[in-house]
This record gives sequence, C-alpha cells and structure tokens, in this order.
Amino acid sequence: MKQRPSSKWLLMLAALFLAGCGGESGGGGESDAASATIDNTAEVEADYAAEPDFYRFKTLDDLPADLVWENGADLPEIGSPEAKKGGTRYIALPDFPRTLRTAGPDSNGAFRPYILDNVVTLIAHLHPDEREFYPALAESWALDPETSTVYVKLDPAATWSDGVPVTTDDFFFMFWFYKSEYIRAPWYNNWYGTQYTNITRYDDRTFSITSASAKPDYASRVLELHPRPRHHFKELGEDYLERYQWRFTPTTGAYVLRDGDLKKGRSIVLTRNKDWWAKDKKHFRYRYNPDRVQFNIIRDTPKRFEAFKRGDIDQFGLALSEYWYEKLPDSDPDVQAGYIAKSVFYNEYPRPPYGLWMNTSQPLLDDLNVRLGVQHASNWQLVIDQYFRGDAARLKTANEGFAEFNDPSIEPREFDISKAQAYFAAAGFTERGPDGILVNAEGQKLAFTLSTGYENLADVMTILKQEAQKAGLELRIEILDSTTGWKKVQEKQHEIHLVAFGRFLEMYPRYWEHYHSDNAYDDAFLDDGSINPDRELKTQTNNLEAFADFEMDGLIDRYRASQDKDEMVELSHQILNLHHEHASFSPGWYQPSLRLGHWRWIRYPDYFNHRYISTIDDLWVHWIDTDLKKEVLEARKSGKTFPPKIQVYDQWKP
Amino acid sequence: MLNLNPQTLKKLRRFRQIKRGYYSFLILAGLMVLLAFGELLINSRALVVSYEGELYFPTYTAFHPGTDFGLDYDYEVNYRDLKEKFAADGSGNWLLMPLVPYNAFENHAPGGIFTPLAPNAAQQHYLGTDTTSRDILARLFYGTRIALIFSIGFMLSVYLIGIAIGCSMGYFGGVFDLLFQRLIEIWSNVPFLYMVIIIFSVIPAAFSVPTRIAILLAVMVLFSWTGMTYYMRTETYKEKARDYVAAARVIGASDSRIIFKHILPNVLSTLVTFMPFTIVGAVSAITALDFLGFGLPPPTPSLGELLKQGTANLRTAPWIVISAFGTLVALLTLVTFVGEAVRESFDPKTYSIYR
Repeated sequence: MKQRPSSKWLLMLAALFLAGCGGESGGGGESDAASATIDNTAEVEADYAAEPDFYRFKTLDDLPADLVWENGADLPEIGSPEAKKGGTRYIALPDFPRTLRTAGPDSNGAFRPYILDNVVTLIAHLHPDEREFYPALAESWALDPETSTVYVKLDPAATWSDGVPVTTDDFFFMFWFYKSEYIRAPWYNNWYGTQYTNITRYDDRTFSITSASAKPDYASRVLELHPRPRHHFKELGEDYLERYQWRFTPTTGAYVLRDGDLKKGRSIVLTRNKDWWAKDKKHFRYRYNPDRVQFNIIRDTPKRFEAFKRGDIDQFGLALSEYWYEKLPDSDPDVQAGYIAKSVFYNEYPRPPYGLWMNTSQPLLDDLNVRLGVQHASNWQLVIDQYFRGDAARLKTANEGFAEFNDPSIEPREFDISKAQAYFAAAGFTERGPDGILVNAEGQKLAFTLSTGYENLADVMTILKQEAQKAGLELRIEILDSTTGWKKVQEKQHEIHLVAFGRFLEMYPRYWEHYHSDNAYDDAFLDDGSINPDRELKTQTNNLEAFADFEMDGLIDRYRASQDKDEMVELSHQILNLHHEHASFSPGWYQPSLRLGHWRWIRYPDYFNHRYISTIDDLWVHWIDTDLKKEVLEARKSGKTFPPKIQVYDQWKP
Repeated sequence: MLNLNPQTLKKLRRFRQIKRGYYSFLILAGLMVLLAFGELLINSRALVVSYEGELYFPTYTAFHPGTDFGLDYDYEVNYRDLKEKFAADGSGNWLLMPLVPYNAFENHAPGGIFTPLAPNAAQQHYLGTDTTSRDILARLFYGTRIALIFSIGFMLSVYLIGIAIGCSMGYFGGVFDLLFQRLIEIWSNVPFLYMVIIIFSVIPAAFSVPTRIAILLAVMVLFSWTGMTYYMRTETYKEKARDYVAAARVIGASDSRIIFKHILPNVLSTLVTFMPFTIVGAVSAITALDFLGFGLPPPTPSLGELLKQGTANLRTAPWIVISAFGTLVALLTLVTFVGEAVRESFDPKTYSIYR
C-alpha cells in the first residue's frame, strides 16, 4: 500500500518531464499544429485562374515560329580539367544558421550561399569570363526584345535532388511562391510582383516570361531566375516559417543535405549528389568537386584563424592587412614550408563601397555645410595608408565597378582641416571649446555618433575619430554587433554609420533603393516639388542617408523607366554628380583584390579563378587533392617541406 | 586629533602586524596617489612649456592650439613634435614632457603603420602599443584608474543601499522584513550579467562617455545590493536583542538614531571585512564585461578591452596580454591581501584558523 502514492508521484513527475520535453522539441521541429496536413493545390490553382493575364496557358502551336533559339554552348568551360572529385571541404561558420529556409526572415545568412546562391542552377548563368549566358536548366532560349519576353526550353535531364523532374510548373509556382504573403519576404513580393508581367506555359518543358519593362538587361532578369519545387511546397501555408524552418528544400544544384547531417548548434554536412543531373554538362563538370562539405561553428575570428592554422579548416580569407602581414606573414613557417599557400587575386566586380552614410534627417546633418565639413574631416587616406597599408584603394563614388555607368570625373573630397573648418564655420561652428571641439553660438558641440556593425573595423573608427578631432569635430564611437548595427540603420536611428552594401554583378547600379525619396519619407514632397511639412521618416529601407531631393527623384524615375542604355549612362552620371554635391556619403575605401590563405591540398585552376566573381567560392572551381592532403599532413609531422607557394594573379587587374 | 576608541586602535595595530596585508595596503595607497596625479606622469601634454619667455602649464588647462606656440595649425599641439622643433631651432624655448609622453587615446605609429609595437624604450613605449598603436602603459594606467574609481563608487553605493535596507529589515522585523525578504529573493534571481548586457546595449551612444559609465554603474548597483542585506539583517537582529539597544530605547532615542548610532558601529566589523572583496568583485565584473564588449564604452581605456585584444593577438603581440593580465593579477592580489589582513585583524578571536 505504501508504495502506491510514491509511484503515482513518479508517474506525474515523468508526465511533467515528458510534457516539458515535448514542448521543447516542438519549438525546434514540427509541433502538432504544424504536422497537420495542408494541401495548397486548390489555392494555387485558384490564384493562377484569378490572374489569367499573368499566368497564361497555351499550347506548343502558339509558340511564335520565327524565334531564334540560342544555347551558349560555345562559351568556354569553367574550372580546370585537372579537377578531381572527392575529399571533404571543411568550412567554419561564425554562427549556426537560424533556418534552412531560403526565403523569409533570418534566411539571408552566411550559410545560404552554400544551399542556394553559389550552388543553385538558374535557367542560364552569366559566364564568369565572357559575360554571356551559358545554359543550366535551359536547353535553349530565345529572346524577343520587342515584347521583352524570353522563351525557354528546359533541359529534359533537369531534375530536383529528390528525383522529380523540373518542369514549367515549378516556374509557375516560383511566381506564386515569391508573391505569396506566407513567406514574409516583402522584397521578393515586390520584385516578383512588379518586375514581371506574365509567364506563359506552352508545354511541360517550354514556357516564356515577360519583364515589365524593356530594360537593356531584361534577358538576365528572366534567365537568372531559379524555380521553386512545386511538389515540396505542397504544404506551404500560413505556418510556412515553422513548417519549413528546418526542412531542406530539394535543389537542382550539386549539394544536398541528407537526413541526420544537421546537428543543431554544432555542425552541418552537405554531400555531393553523385547522380546530379548536370554533372556531365559542359559548364559544370569541373566544378563542385568535394564529396562532402563539413561546416563547424566557430564564433570568434581569432579562433577561426587558429583552427585554420591547425588545418581544421581548409582556407581563410586574409583581406585584413593584419592577417596578411602579421598573423600569416610570408615568413610564417607553415607558409615557408609550403603547407599553406597564399594567393592574391585581382578581378573585376562591383566592390562593397565602404564609407560614412550620414543620416540627413538628423539635426545638424541636414546642413550641407556640416556634411561637407565632415567629408573634409574624414582622413580616409590615413586609414588606407596606415591601417590597410596601401592595399585598399580610395573609393570615389558609392557605385564603382559598373563600367561606363560610373562617372570617372568625380573626385572624392580630400582630408583638409582648413576646408573642413571653413565649412563648419559656415554652419555656425566657429569657436573651439576647452577640449578643442567646435561649438556654435548656442554652445552646442559639434559632435556626432559614429556607429558601425563591423566589430573588426573598430580600428578604422578610432583613426577617423582621432583625425576628425583635429578639425574640431567629435565622433562618438559606437561599435555594435552586426545585427544590432543593421537594425539601427534600418530604423534610421543612426547619425553617421560606417557600412558597405554587397553588390551584385549587374549591368547597371540600382539608385532607387538608396536615393529616392520614396525610401526616405512618406510623401516627401508636395506636388509642386516643395518639401511636405508633415512628412515622416520611412524606416526599413536602404536609403540610409534619408536622401530626398526632388530633382534626384525625377532623374531616378527616368533612369528606372529608360530602355536606352546610352540615356541610362547619361542619367547615371547626373545622379552620381548630384549625389556627390549632396555630400551625404563620404566614400571610404574598397578592396581591389581577394586575398586568401589555403592549405596546399585545396587546389585551384592555374589561372586561379574567373574574372567576374565576388568571392573565391562563387563558382566552386577548387578541388581537394586527397593524396596531397595525406602527404602534407605527414610532411608536417616529419618536417619535410614543399616549395613555398605565394602567388599574385593579376591577369584581370583593372 | 582623531579620537579612536581603544578597540579600534587595537584592531589597527593588529592590521599593521600582518605584514603581507600591511605592505599591500601601502603599495595600493601609493598607487592610488600615483593614479590621482596620473596626468603628470603619463600624458601627451607637456608639464611645462617655456615659450618666448613665458611659462605654460598645459596639463590641467584647456587645450592650446598649435598657433599658441608658433605652429601653423589650430588644433591641439603635438608636444612631442614641438619638443623636437624647439631643440632643432635652438631658440631657447624648451618644454618638459612627462615620463611617458602619450595619452591613452592617441594612435602613435612610428613606422607609419598601425600595428602592435613591441616594448620599446627608445620610443618611450615601455610596454609596447596595442593594435591601433596606442600606448599600452597609458591605457593600463588610466584603465586601472577608471576601474578603481568605478569599484569604489560601486562599493559605496551598494553598501549604502544594502546597509539601509538590511538594517531596517533586521530592526523593524515583522511584515516589513518578510516583504523585503521576498522582494530580495525575487530580485536576486534576475540574472545579473544578462540584465547588464541587455540594458547597456540599448543605451544610446549619443550620451557622453561619463554618463554612460554612470549608467553602467547604476545598473550594476541595482542588481548587486541584495547580497549585503542578508548580513546586515542578521547582524541587526542579533544586536537588537542586546541590552544597550533596549536602554537606548528606554531613554527615548529614535529608530534612526538607534540604527545608525548604536547598532551600526557594532556591526561595522562585518562590513569592513567585506569591503576589499567587494572591490575585487567589481573590478573583475567590469573587466569581464569589457572583455565581452558590454562594459565601458569605447574608446575608454580598460583592462578588459586590452585582455580581449591580447587574446586575439596571442601569437603576434604577446606583450598586450602579458601586461593586461599582469596588472589585473597584481591589482587583485594586492586588494585580496589587504582584505585578508582586515578580516583577520577584525576577528575577535586572537588565534583563529581559516579553513
């Protein structure tokens, strides 16, 4: 009798405990609600039917007869024929990915390139040397500039990694997916909702897509699309975020995540799909060589570097001078013994424009003279000479790297204390206070918060602060972690912020995002062009300068509407000049090269990499020489050495 | 003359007999004096400038623009360059620099490149420079000063709140005690470090550095005063039951008079023994927070920030971590020695063994 109550207690405790566990695993995986079956087939089809102009269904007979089909098959191969398949590539991530989704909140992290951006196969890709299209999912395509329509015939071999063929349905669904509210991705909603006017189905493997405007690059807007697997997203609905949080989306690319290869918070392993449909295709066969890609989480940069020096990860970006010259100098024993190779690779790509983004909606910064003063008080040359040791170059405008769209006649403003002081004086700051900082007649100090989300650039901030002080300007440094920093500028809470936007390889720069008043204020101007007194600052946009100028709006609208390249170039120059005069962006520096340290067993083609790439891993042309790896590891123990490998590849140096 | 009661004198005498603690105390006191006049020892401003027959003492005054001394710029004079200029033109002008002619903020890169410089007596960087070429000795010195001021401020505030509330709890007892005990139990379960990190991360950088340090101090005090109340409460309970308290009450002394004039001096020994350890705790806490990047706002010199730099550059610049770690160890050891000696000398039993 005595035992009964206690065992009851135990049961209850056990029940409580289990309930606790259930709750926990429900948070990370699929909760009961999420495992309820959804089938959105009817909803999707109803939406297709509701927009008959957008989603059009025709037959092969309707296909225009006079189309000229091209397939880019003559373009040279990518990668090296020497490449060998096999081995494991080890990579360290700074943070565990917050989701496996590739759209929606938190999806745009450091891990996404490995499951989407750098491995995905598009309809066709821009060739990294020739800038012409080579085929991927498409067998061939035809362009119709009159209607800005692109016709596509899919490769019959194209399949998703789970064996399901890629069909026209997946492209129809791509539009439905990216236009859907369920994915909580307003940028995609807007882009797919406004940039395209129609997709037409001719048969299972033939379709056409029409762009909203006949911009000179309309072809790439269509050909660089990638489909979404219709069969995988059958359950897409209101609970998309939770339901697809940790589900690997079938891919048309080379790497898949197999069940059990994701250990939350610890590691991820991607495996090369041995039956990948494109593995023998001309432009893919020498790429995506490692059999496995193992990701470990190492949060600290110095620790990641130590892991690299131990050989736990295969390569390490040495963009910072500190790493290139001191932590891994040419005289390093591992470099001298030839175990670790150092490579500098110059190429052409629009580089991230590092500089100071001044929020013109803040008091004082709304004064042009103050902004001009700040420009002349920013000693970028000292940053470049002393911190980057001359390896970086001074940025001239925020939009360099877009060939003729850039205006080479614009010169950035130099560090000049007397000019800075003249401008500050014009803004009313004439006296220096007891600490050397300028004050105006009301006793207000000339001080701004200089914030950044790049912890590794703290030293740059210190230099700028010290130098600005000479001109009587105080910069209060605020170093935030990247998420907080980004949030701050998105909320437009910053005064002056140091940041750079990643650039894509596009034909021409985007101005609307950064400089149009639509992204600065709600109803910035009245109809006659005067400032709307009731306007309110608009947050969550990339117009970090709160740039609102009636003339600029007009230029950008014309630029966006223009279908003539020469006119766009002309407009682009005007926009850049106007932006320069406005002085709300102090152009800092850019890195003209990619620098890398990598263990000898990571092999690259003789020419190292291709002309238009943004990161070394963009194209996956490297391979792992497993025999060499064994040899190097043994040599390290026995003390045997190889000839050192320190190379500069400057064949694409602009 | 200070009139100390014989009990206290006895304790002080005993403190002097504990050599380790006593010398530590003397060293610390000396250090405090040095720190207080730090600007005269480690500073980029000259101690004395003699320019065209006039004497200037720029250390504690407003800044002198370069034009004051015949230079062509109107920002703060670089006195090191000025010294060389004076020596070169032999005009009879002269100036005297402090022992270490650098302040804690300026980047001084002799090679023109911002990189850690090994200790170098010729350049007068006696402990080398950090990753942005700031003098480590200057940063350590002012970092220590800020840490100590911060800790003393922390200790005083924590004690003030802790004593007031703890004594009241013990003295009044009953519902008041019960209520506050529950309150403290709840409050002390709020994770201190996370709260500090969260609150400090939302303080806008637009506030000046001293304001932000004051806010950090306030937040830390807010989450640290509870520990003191337990001791004060029990001590007060104990003392309250003594005859002298009853006597005072019979005479008609007010509650506050009884607490502060009668009870507090009798529980002082408990308090005093805790003090050094509170300081040790505060120095460690502020260093740890700095190390994590949530402490003193940059570019305030701090031990934690130097430690962080040091661990990130262990291989290439070991002198950073060595000096920061050495200073921290020395400082905490000294304070701990003093603390142990105080505890021993205030112990009513002459021969006690600590376990």
